[in-house]
Amino acid sequence: MLTANSTFAQVKKAEIIATGLTCSMCSNAIYKQLNTIVGVDSVLTDLNTNTFTVFLKPDNKYAPNLFKENIEKAGFFIGSLIVTVPGSVISGNINQFIPLGKGSPINEEEISIKIFDEGYVTHKEHKKYLKTFASVGTYSQNKADVFHYKIEAK
Amino acid sequence: MKKYLLSVGLLYIISFLGAQELFVVTDPASNMPAGSSNIRLSQSLFKELLEDGYNYHLMPEVSYGINKNLMVRAASFLSNRNNRLYLEGGSLFLKYRFFSSDDIHSHFRLAAYGRVSKNRADIHQEQIETMGHNSGAELGLIATKLVHKTAISSSISLEKATNNDPNYVFPETQDNTAINYSLSWGRLMYPKTYKSYKQTNINLMFEFLGQTLSDNRKTFIDGTAAIQFIVNSQSRIDLAYRKSLFSNMLRSAPNGIYLNFEYTFFNFKK
Repeated sequence: MLTANSTFAQVKKAEIIATGLTCSMCSNAIYKQLNTIVGVDSVLTDLNTNTFTVFLKPDNKYAPNLFKENIEKAGFFIGSLIVTVPGSVISGNINQFIPLGKGSPINEEEISIKIFDEGYVTHKEHKKYLKTFASVGTYSQNKADVFHYKIEAK
Repeated sequence: MKKYLLSVGLLYIISFLGAQELFVVTDPASNMPAGSSNIRLSQSLFKELLEDGYNYHLMPEVSYGINKNLMVRAASFLSNRNNRLYLEGGSLFLKYRFFSSDDIHSHFRLAAYGRVSKNRADIHQEQIETMGHNSGAELGLIATKLVHKTAISSSISLEKATNNDPNYVFPETQDNTAINYSLSWGRLMYPKTYKSYKQTNINLMFEFLGQTLSDNRKTFIDGTAAIQFIVNSQSRIDLAYRKSLFSNMLRSAPNGIYLNFEYTFFNFKK
């Protein structure tokens, strides 16, 4: 399941909090779905918080929408997504990755970013962020291949 | 004072009832995961009211998640009404989830569904039931709210019976159209804290199911209590008791038990 965006390489890790579920069978549906992704090394699950940590093999060419598509295929939604990627991927694609906070990925070998776009945060949070980030013109455009991010503290 | 305590007690029970939404008799607004399939063996043993003995129904079902919003289910109906297990009919069911508002540990979802059924049993009651008794069709809407360990779901549907095969004509003296309505609660009782997918989950469920025939307004309301075991986060065992709470229509066997087994093949089609 390669996405169209071949420049976004080497997602090393994705930490996903899924919304809309509390049962272990629902969680298992997500777990099994994430394991169907080609290049997944392992998936760790916290059943009580519905957090799924996906470790991927190097040299994959995945974008954040891969995780959104797979969680939604299982019947649920993403409430939070943090991906760990080489800093050069972000700094080399400034039209695709738009910062909302401070910090620069330029000199970072590896960086964790939280995605703030619709479908990557809860409905309530997205409504709030539309006001918070009203000055960022691209934020309200909801383009599927443009991601707004903040760098996560290490 | 006693009445007050009873009311508070009932409110307490009601507020904690419910739970997970994989109900025994009704469907929730949520769907199967896309590309996953499950098989279900539903069994019911209901006491005959008008004659001696029990009416046993066996319903093997196969469901499939076509995409994240649409699922299909094929069911076949077998019964012992003629003193041997006999294939009486089958049905095709489609459910489309058209609204979702999800949050951490909660969701509110809406779905529409439709069912068409064929049946070749004799028509022996006023109750219309396209799941195992009547040829016909049903169209309905479902709303489901899940908050933490409790789920509440409600549905309303229009059901129309036609003639059964091969020549069991639907009696002209009976009403062939009905409105169905349901209210279901489910609650995860065990475990309190999850440790692994291997833990058996126990759900407690209560469902109220009603039908009103559209012209003569004859009505029944049933209550169902169920305990459900989710094993290995992949299979499901339901044990339930259903009892008529009110009825002014002719029904052949309204009270009895269910014993269902279900197994899910996740990512049947990758």
